[in-house]
Amino acid sequence: MTASALATAPRRALPGVLMIGLAVLGIVVISALVGIWFTPYDPTAFAVRSRLASPSLLHLFGTDEFGRDVLSRVLAGGHLSLAIGFGAMLVSLVLGVPLGLLAAFHRGVVQEVIMRAVDLLISLPPILLGLLILAVTPPNLIKTILAVGLVYVPILVRLSRAVALGLLEEDFVQAAVARGEGAVAILWHEILPNAWPPIIVECGLRVTFAILLGSALSFLGLGPQPPSSEWGLMIAEGREFLTQAPWVGLMPGLCLCVLLVSVNLVGEGLRECLDPHLSGRSRG
Amino acid sequence: MAAGHDAPPTTDDGLLEVAGLSVAYRTASGWLTALDDVSLSIPVGGVLGLVGESGSGKSSMVLALLGLLGPAARVRARRVAFDGQDLLVNAPLLRGRRVGVVFQDTSAALNPAHTIGRQVIEPLVVHMHLERAEAWARGTALLAEMGIKQPAQVMGCYPHQLSGGMKQRVGIATALATEPDLLLLDEPTTALDVTVEAQILNLLDRLRVQRGLSMLLVSHNLGIVDRLCDRVAVLYAGRVAETGGTVRVLNRPRHPYTKGLLAALPRPDLAHAGRLSPIPGNLPDLVSPDPGCNFRPRCAFAAPGCEQPQTLLGGDHRASCHRMADIAELPWPVESPPAASGPISGPISGRERGAPALVQAVGLSARFETGGFLQRLFGRPGHGVLAVDDVSLTVRIGEIVGLVGESGCGKSTLGRLLLRLVPAKSGGLRFAGAEIGERPGPAFRRQAQIVFQNPDTSLNPRQTVGTILRRPLHRFGLASGAKATREIERLLDLVRLPRRYVDRYPHQLSGGEKQRVGIARALATKPDFLVCDEAVSALDVSVQAAVLNLLRDLRDELGVAYLFISHDIGVIAHIADRVAVMYRGSLVEEGEVRDVLRPPYHPYTELLLSSVPVIGKPRSMEGERLADPSPASDGTDAGCKFAGRCPRKLGPICDTVPPPWQQVDRDHRIRCHVPLATLAAVPPWLPVPAGID
Repeated sequence: MTASALATAPRRALPGVLMIGLAVLGIVVISALVGIWFTPYDPTAFAVRSRLASPSLLHLFGTDEFGRDVLSRVLAGGHLSLAIGFGAMLVSLVLGVPLGLLAAFHRGVVQEVIMRAVDLLISLPPILLGLLILAVTPPNLIKTILAVGLVYVPILVRLSRAVALGLLEEDFVQAAVARGEGAVAILWHEILPNAWPPIIVECGLRVTFAILLGSALSFLGLGPQPPSSEWGLMIAEGREFLTQAPWVGLMPGLCLCVLLVSVNLVGEGLRECLDPHLSGRSRG
Repeated sequence: MAAGHDAPPTTDDGLLEVAGLSVAYRTASGWLTALDDVSLSIPVGGVLGLVGESGSGKSSMVLALLGLLGPAARVRARRVAFDGQDLLVNAPLLRGRRVGVVFQDTSAALNPAHTIGRQVIEPLVVHMHLERAEAWARGTALLAEMGIKQPAQVMGCYPHQLSGGMKQRVGIATALATEPDLLLLDEPTTALDVTVEAQILNLLDRLRVQRGLSMLLVSHNLGIVDRLCDRVAVLYAGRVAETGGTVRVLNRPRHPYTKGLLAALPRPDLAHAGRLSPIPGNLPDLVSPDPGCNFRPRCAFAAPGCEQPQTLLGGDHRASCHRMADIAELPWPVESPPAASGPISGPISGRERGAPALVQAVGLSARFETGGFLQRLFGRPGHGVLAVDDVSLTVRIGEIVGLVGESGCGKSTLGRLLLRLVPAKSGGLRFAGAEIGERPGPAFRRQAQIVFQNPDTSLNPRQTVGTILRRPLHRFGLASGAKATREIERLLDLVRLPRRYVDRYPHQLSGGEKQRVGIARALATKPDFLVCDEAVSALDVSVQAAVLNLLRDLRDELGVAYLFISHDIGVIAHIADRVAVMYRGSLVEEGEVRDVLRPPYHPYTELLLSSVPVIGKPRSMEGERLADPSPASDGTDAGCKFAGRCPRKLGPICDTVPPPWQQVDRDHRIRCHVPLATLAAVPPWLPVPAGID
């Protein structure tokens, strides 16, 4: 590897996965956000005659057990799923990453307190944790987001702590200590910019799990309630008709799948184009 | 390929004959030529040294001979013959049987999950088809032959229970188990301490005589090559620049690159010989190799005709340079001191005795606790390692104090203690007359900075050079806005980097350039004291020379004092004014460079100096180098820590009574029980010091 080759290497184009991921994610997000005004049918209108109709030109995604158009319901409910997925991810990010970084920086009492609290959270089953929060007060969307976000805080604490522990050994952190920088400055300037690629990738995964957990809570009656057409709720409702009318659960599931894959593609693509180690390696 | 290439000297008894070997790797930008038409030969019982800096293709050669290059590489050769057989075809049959190999990192080469015995007997069972019991007996005998005491016990050990030197002996034993004819040694001692390195070199020398082994020694260390090899081939960017007898090549180099390498090498026998001569520039682009001389852009003797393809010329001592005869008597030019940075304004140099003290450490100790927080809370106290034990050291204004010692002796910890980067267990620190507590204020942080060993980890990969240099300026309120930009440009000028590097990321720089950014960052705060922790150890010789010159110029220009930590005696002898020798957490000798490098020595200093491979050290001297008993019984903490290894141990007093500091003269002191008269009577271990006095 010669320095001259490195110096003259052109800035690499954005990786293809990132472009594809961004395009798909953009389509899904836009249709989820504005879809409610462009539904082909009223998502709540019953049509008893066309119950459980298979997908056709009239009903692209088919209809459910009340004859409601599945496509319309998917379009109308998308924003709820997105809100739960991304909202919960944000909650766990905002709580988890600073705690993880602090635990890595202050070995000793601070670390012990944070990590044992995290162990406690992990030992509770996610559903139970959600129940604890939601069952005592009337459920609403914000509470679902908070509950789901809280469930994933331990994972982000552990991940960011593990990443930061490795980075704290690096000499550039020692150099910052030798300048007398404080904990916050070191974590913000030196650690975080290097730590976030794995965190972002993890967050991409978490969005998907959060949506699924949110729908599980909905199914238990602790999330968005029928007739809301949140995707997780729709999947749960469609389960009853899985053999006779698979599209009822499958179509929202497919949408969820497309969303998750695109989020992961974006995460992967971001990591690839922003990680200097990776780009250095690819040049051999 | 290569038209007009001399026919290689085909000796009938050549065990290994390589003719016109080329190796290329497929990369995104095309085929990268790692080896370009390389020819060499090793006779039976001969030792060939293959030297070159990183990127010269040394390791590709070893892998090619072993047939381990894999499908991504393209190997072409006119002839690669081992004892008459085509090695390129038969490598899988021959490697591990008739061709043994020892790698640099034995820790990685030994499987941590298996016992030493199991790994030593594996080749015996696989290749020689011996019964387990018989193989075990043979393996034990092999370990004994490698100079391992209690070989039967070692056979039952796991790799983590052995020291680095022991592991390397095991590695050599494994390579020799099938009684190969040729041993490939890829930087076999680079990861080892100098005393252990000397033992391994002695072992290799003995094996070569006793077994009539042929060896190919790949190394960047010319001292080792001089110690062990009959012949040497100098590789530069995949081509052989020069080849010949070791003594001839190293003492009367013909190729400009060899001349440059030797001129860039700091040598303990030439202390304070003046500035080193770095080779300017970087390795050429290997993807589109220059058909002419590939050293031309960096060569001080380049002239018309260099753009023509060069061939190895000459009889036994050959070089691929058409100006060989013209430049035979010319030395590689010395780098002139920088003119741009203005006149050197009467530096306050610590070399003048009596300069006021800048850093004063009194009785500093540091202990590393083991175990976690809860273990420490509930477990027994007192577990841990005393890394630095009651060290007092003074660095004067503008002085360069060298700190030498083996790995793990506490050098780095002492350096960080002086910066208050690790907590001290006891002792005091004064800086410029003021007491510095455990949590020093910004004034001290600004004045005392650090330069790290590894340029790859010392710079934040996500910050540009500009950001890296701007941070300390902002932090201490030294400059902001346009003023900071000007200051950054000044810093880049100071470390001789182009100003356009401001927008580069660390991965776009070479190792030497990264190290300069690290130095610039440390200098940004205009410090008075700099701890250089192995600051040049990771660099190639030609780059190291440039950085050493730079550090010395900066001392002369800015009056910065350094604590220069290094395991390389040559580097210390070149740059330091005073030296402190450290052993297991304690200083054992301290004094001016010239005094420490000649008797009287502390027995440990003597052991170190007797172990350093120096070019031109008579081999007779190597033969009688001090025996270094392995520290089976490490000195007790009550007495002298070195007593367990000391060749000049007096008796029980060394084990029970802490040795006193004995003053040799005003600035030179030795911590030992042995009377100074006895220590002064030992012969000097370095060749006649030429540059001293």
